[in-house]
Parts: sequence; structure tokens; C-alpha cells
Amino acid sequence: MKKDEAPSYIVDLALRRGATDAVANLHDRQHIMIRFSNNEVTISKFYDESTVDIFLMIKRRRAATTIPFSSTRSLEKTVEKLIKIARMTPPSELYAPLPEGPFSYDPKLLRGSKVSLNPDRLVGYVEEAINAALKEGAKKVAGTLNAVVERNVLATSGNVHASQERGALDISVRAFTSEISSGHFVSVSGDEDRFDPSEAGRIAGEIAAAASNPKPGEPGRFTALLGPLVFADLISQVGILSSAFLVDIGQSFLADKVGSQVACEKLSLIDDPTVAGSYGARAFDDEGVPTRRNVIIERGVLKGYLHNSMTAKKYGVETTGNAGLISPHPWNLIVEPGEKSFEDLLAEIDRGIYVTNDWYLRYQNYRTGDFSTIPRDGIFLIRGGSIESSVRELRISDNMLRILRNIRDLSRTRRWIRWWEVEVPTLTPYAVIDDLNFTKSTM
Amino acid sequence: MEDLIELAVNYAESLGAKYAEARFQRDIQETVILKNGFPEAAVLEEKKGISVRVLVDGALGFASTDGLTRRDVKAASSRAFKMARASARIMHEKVSMDDSSLGNVKVEVKQRIGFDSIDIESRTSLLKEAYKRAVEEATERNVKVPACSMTIDTWMTEKLVASSDGAYVYSLIPRAAFSMLMTAFHPQKGSVQRFFDLGGSGGWEIVERWRLPSLIEKEAETLSEILLSAGKSPSGKTDVILGPELVGLICHESSGHPGEADRILGREAAQAGETYLNRDSIGLRVGSRLVNVVDDPTLDGSFGFYLYDDEGVKARKRTLIKEGVINEFLHNRETASVFGVKSNGSARASAFDREPIVRMANTYLEPGDYSVEELLEDVKEGVYIRNFMEWNIDDRRFNQRYVGLEAYRILNGEIKERIRNPVLEVTTTGLWSSVDAVGRDLEFQAAYCGKGDPLQGIPVWTGGPHVRLREVILGG
Repeated sequence: MKKDEAPSYIVDLALRRGATDAVANLHDRQHIMIRFSNNEVTISKFYDESTVDIFLMIKRRRAATTIPFSSTRSLEKTVEKLIKIARMTPPSELYAPLPEGPFSYDPKLLRGSKVSLNPDRLVGYVEEAINAALKEGAKKVAGTLNAVVERNVLATSGNVHASQERGALDISVRAFTSEISSGHFVSVSGDEDRFDPSEAGRIAGEIAAAASNPKPGEPGRFTALLGPLVFADLISQVGILSSAFLVDIGQSFLADKVGSQVACEKLSLIDDPTVAGSYGARAFDDEGVPTRRNVIIERGVLKGYLHNSMTAKKYGVETTGNAGLISPHPWNLIVEPGEKSFEDLLAEIDRGIYVTNDWYLRYQNYRTGDFSTIPRDGIFLIRGGSIESSVRELRISDNMLRILRNIRDLSRTRRWIRWWEVEVPTLTPYAVIDDLNFTKSTM
Repeated sequence: MEDLIELAVNYAESLGAKYAEARFQRDIQETVILKNGFPEAAVLEEKKGISVRVLVDGALGFASTDGLTRRDVKAASSRAFKMARASARIMHEKVSMDDSSLGNVKVEVKQRIGFDSIDIESRTSLLKEAYKRAVEEATERNVKVPACSMTIDTWMTEKLVASSDGAYVYSLIPRAAFSMLMTAFHPQKGSVQRFFDLGGSGGWEIVERWRLPSLIEKEAETLSEILLSAGKSPSGKTDVILGPELVGLICHESSGHPGEADRILGREAAQAGETYLNRDSIGLRVGSRLVNVVDDPTLDGSFGFYLYDDEGVKARKRTLIKEGVINEFLHNRETASVFGVKSNGSARASAFDREPIVRMANTYLEPGDYSVEELLEDVKEGVYIRNFMEWNIDDRRFNQRYVGLEAYRILNGEIKERIRNPVLEVTTTGLWSSVDAVGRDLEFQAAYCGKGDPLQGIPVWTGGPHVRLREVILGG
């Protein structure tokens, strides 16, 4: 059996063995990651994997697996075992048959861009980023470069037989001018043409240089200017927690809020994997449903959750093309731009704090949205519309819904963000938040 | 499999690698999920393959493949070699491995009750019983449980590690884990949530020991009581007693992570960050003389259990902080070589396609002399924080915040009324310096520690006894 025929073979076999519905998704993935620190390469890695996700239902009884692609016999044994497990599994709350195809897909989304996996070329990108940061005054530079080429072949019992390809590049650069002065930036692209490691290095270096000699910050409520890395972290939380599955298990502050004003009118958030050439673009989801542009928040109003066919049935709506066979999730988040430049936003803040990055976001209560996260890299005091000085050791301790409602303005400039802390690619502007609560260690 | 591992190492050496290490790893995991009382899909996952790590001209290259043919393995060795060679041109400080003695052993953890003997239906029934009792307990108090997800995972990790300088270690370790996120809700009082993990190495007997239905019933009772009766937390200077769950987390976050030698060298700078410690910090006082923090992978039945690490070095107990002073860092062979010491067996990889990096295993505060009653009796006014929900720490591991969930006021040595969300937002040295008494009890809890890029979540225990902090400032 040819590799590409395996998904259809698995689905047919599962149906013959008694499954009412079945999905098989073959993933071929080659991924190079180069990690660097102290201006040199820490380790460079090549991942070569071929796996198969199999999901089947016997009405309300469901079972799923992920296994390495191997021989026909091994795949057959896995299907037999999965059927046995499904029969033993107590019934779920609902039965939703898999969406019925065949579907038509946007051909532009089926073809992946060409991304080179040549180690010398990729090490060259790393050198470019390091040198750009050093040129801005950085003493040491660290980061990660990823180059990915992948392809998946999907078959479902809903008459889906399709394949899509994807190529992507990203680099995350953190530059240091001292142990406590740093800057961070990224370049994220669905193709090599728009990939700009030098710019990522340059911006990281600029922030690090500006952040020199930070003084301990003071806690309190401030107008905050959030850079794209921070705002992407917060906004990707909104996107991720709009999954109907997470809403159901209590892991979302968006529960019971569809139709409500959850944010300032200036905020519109869309999950849009149909933008060809963007990092998170894709033609179909894990059930074979064509992806689409889903408005999550429109002018501050929560329009709906992200669904697969199972959660959609529970909520009495149509799937949004965001399967995840168990939990739906966003693919490619986009915040609509504002009208002002970064300089305009800065100029309008009399007394505030500019935060360029954050990490380690944890909730006190997902349902209420109470959380804290730690600004890192450049943090700057704003006085009279200008950056006055660099500060450190502050924490944002606030509530997600309060922050969304307190958005004062957004910039027209946007950046694609994805890195260690922000998993879902997110196109985001700078944001001004009124009355953001900052805390610090008491001793 | 031995042949393929040998081939990977030999082929990499034949290409010119100065050091080569190959690891076969297979993780077979079964998961049952109960969402609001209903089963989700049962999930069976098998992840297996071989990775090769090589040293070429002072640069490290790594490649993994889930193809298990001779051709796939040779291709992986070749790719690792090429990746390292391409990187060597921008290496200034050449990487090397220390000369630790390496194991040639087989380690196998036995299951008293095999996972195979407990079918999916029985596992789901156990969760359903726990959920039912939780809902009944809350309902008795007019509290709703609008959302509750519970998961039981069982998995077997099989590894074979071999290196060009003589390591040859086979291990087979079964693990079981439970996790839960529960929401309690009352129309006038709002909501509270509790998340926690349990885990250990061994067979199904671990799960039986947890007595999940009683445990989860108790959690529902506590959450309901917090919702209904907890008052405002005091702030300002006060004495605080921390329970083992919080002490364990603090040990992990503010003692374990800062002492990871790869962080000290800046290797995690762009991801999990650096540390407030530096290469000269051995001997630095960071806490009171009562503070002894250790990390011990060899604890029987522990979630972070192993006897040889993923570079083939024998594991041992590491004393990270001794009598309040930084005593030892966590090392793999690479960092040990830089520091001029021997690896203390801290190299762990979460899967076949992840490289071994410096990790914790079971990190805890060593017990002292006090009973919990003795800790309490000397507190005139204070706060007892038993567990937590929100926490985080900065990327230098110095400024941290813990928000209590189950917490009480202490008055004249007695535990009084419940309080809600006391905030401990302090520096690492501020916290450890305020320890004035350490309990003689010791409890562990499970967690998945995240580090590396791609992120490697590995099973760990965190733990400790009850601890008393004098005159800390609550609120942040």
C-alpha cells in the first residue's frame, strides 16, 4: 500500500469492523530547529516524523489514537484494537456524525510555500539575526529558528479524501545588553520571501539598548501601552479559550457570554486560516471541513465559540471548521487594526507604562478571568507622551475581561507573533489599556 | 532495537563525530477523560523512534526519526552530523562532554497491578463515581459544579540509551497520573476553581492508593466551603504557615529552576529564561539555616523516578540548598564539562524526538523537627495557606507570586475562619530568609515541568513539610 492510500484504507477497515464514523489523518513532517545563545548555536535539530491520527466512533462510543506510520499489518492491528476500546468505552454525552463531504477547498490553501531545510542556509538566518542585534548594541543574543515543511493526508467516513501542504519559518530573538536589560522580537512567515530574521534581531537589539539600567518599578494602576508580543499573548488567550470544549469544562472566561459586550468596541478578533501564505493558513480542519473566517469578537461583542461537529451539535450551531477531534482550537488569529501610529498612541499617554513582552500567564480562576503574567524584557515609564526611563520587576495582576473592556486604542501597525509563549500565530497591533494593575514583590 | 542503536552511534562516528549518543524511546499512553460526568473519547497514543545526538567540531547536532529501518537510522545520524557541522562555523566556545562514569545496566519498575488488567470501562467508572460524589457533596451545600474535567493517564516509557563512550542503559518505567479542574458556583457567591495533579511510578496500585472518590468528594466539600464562607484575606506584615503543596511548588520554582546549570550558562535565555544565580553562586546564602532543598530522582514510586539519566549517568540525590546556602547545581554532561565538575545525572528527554536537557526530578524541602501543632502554637496572628491556584515567577526566578486557595486565619495558635485568595508576592531570598520553623511531615504532589524548545513536559514530584514564615508581607 502506498503511504497516501493509508488514510482511506484505515477508514474503510474501521467501517467494516463496525465503526459508524472514522477519521484517519496522516502527517508527514520535517522540521529543523536551531537554538542559539551567547551569540552561537546551542544545538541544531532535525525532526523527521510520519504519524497517523485515527479517530472512530460507534455512535456515542469514541476512541482515538496517534501512532507512528508503519506497516499495513500494524495499522490493521491498531484499528482492531481501537474498535475494541471504543466498544468498551461508556457512551459519551452526544453522537454527532462526522460532517458529510465531499467538500471543495481553496486550491491556494492546499499548496504549501517552498521552505528550504538546508542547514547552511538556516544557520545563515541565525547569523543575520545575531549580527543585527549586536549592531544595535546587544552584548549577547539568544533564540530559536524553526523551519517546517509538512503535509497531511486526510480521509473520513464523511467522503473526505484530501491533502494539504504547509511551509513555515519563524525566528525568536532575545538580545541582552546586561543581565537585567533585554529586548525580544520575532519574525513569523508562511514563506521565505517575507521572513526577516535581521529585522527581528534589530528590534530585539533596539529594545535591549533602550532598556539599559532599569530601576525597580512601582506598583499601581497605570495606562499601559502593550507591544505586539504582550498583546498577542493576551489575545491568543481569548482565541484559545473561545473553544467550546474549554468553555464546557470551565476553562474559559467567555462562558455564558455569547452576544454580550466583552470588550471595547475597538476590538474585533477573527480566526482566519484562509489568508493564503500566512503562518497558520490551512484548507481544512481535522474533520475535513473547509476552514473559514470566523469572527470571535466583533466591535467588542462575543459572536460565538469555535466548534468541531461534536461541540456544534451540543450548542445547536454549525461547525466552524476548527476541529480538533476532541477540542476545537483557533488556527490563525487576527486583530483588526486601529487608526493611529505607535507614536500617536505613545503621545497620548500622560503617565503610563510601555510593556514590550511578557511570559508565565496563570489564572486564579479561568471562569472569572482573574490572572497574572510577568512583563519581561524592556519595560518603560511613559511621562508626558514620551518614554522616560526603563524599569523592571513588575507583574500584571488583573482580569482578562476588565482588560478587554479597558482597551482604549489600537495601532494601525500590526505584527505576526508566534514564539515559545504564544503558540497560535496572532496578527496583532500595539494596544493602549486604561487602568492596568501592576504589582511587585513586597519583600 | 540494540542493533539499530549501535548502528546509529557507529555510523555517526564513522562520519567524523567526536561523540555520538543514540536513544530509542517508546511511550505508550492510555487516557480516559470524564467531562462533566460524561466520558470523552478514550485515547491511546504510541510514540516511538530513535534520536541521535552528535558532537562535531564542538557543535551539537540532533536528529530524530520514527522510522525504524537501518536506512532511517543512518539518515538520522547523517542529518545530526550535517546539522552540527553547519552550526560549527559560528561556535566560539566548543561543546564537550564530561568524563562521568557511565552505566551499563537494565532498570525495570515492576507493576503490582498491571495497567492491562484495568479496562477502559473500569477506569471511566472510577471517575464517574468520583464525579457523582463531588456533585452530591456540593449539592448538599447548595453549591453547583457547572464544570469538572478529570483525566486518568497510564503510560509505559521504555528507553535504550547508548553512547560512543560506553553508556548502555535500558529502562522500563510505568507511570500513572490523575488531573482535575473543578468549578464550584453559587449564584450569590460567584465561582472558585481547583486544579491539581497526582502521579507516581508503578502500576495501577498507585491509582488505588489515591482513593479518588473520597479525595474528590473532599475537594468538592472544601471548594464549596471556600465559596460560601471564606472572608477577605488580611494584608500587610504577618506570620504565614505554608502547606506542603505550596512548599513543593516554591522549591521547584525558586530553588530547582535557578540552579539548572544550562540556565546559568544562558542556554534557555530566549525561552524559559535565565537565573539570578551565576557560576560563582555556590556558597551564596539565600535563606535561613533551616532551609535544605534537595532533588532526588531515586525516590521509589515517585513521578520523577529514574536511576540512570538519558546520557547514561547514574542518578543520585542532589542537595541544592544546604542550611540556606546554595550547595549544588543540576548538571548534565555538557554543563558539567563547562563547570569542571561531574554530571549529577540530571539529563532528561521527554520523548524520542527531544534532546536530553538539564531537568529536575523530585524536588522538595527536607523535613525539620516541628509538628504542625508546634508550628501553629507560636503564631499569635497569621495566615495558613494550604494550597493554591494562581502562581508564576519571573524568568530570573527571583520574583514570584502564589495566590492561596484553601486558606485560613490563625489566631493565638489556632486555625480560625477561612480566608479567600491570600497573595504571597515575594522575592526568592525574601521568602527563604523568612523561614523560622520547618515541620517534620513530608508530602509530595505531581506536576509536569515545562522547559526546552520544543517544550518538553516531564513528570516531577514537588514536596515538603509545613513551613512557618515570620513577618512576611502579604498582598501584591
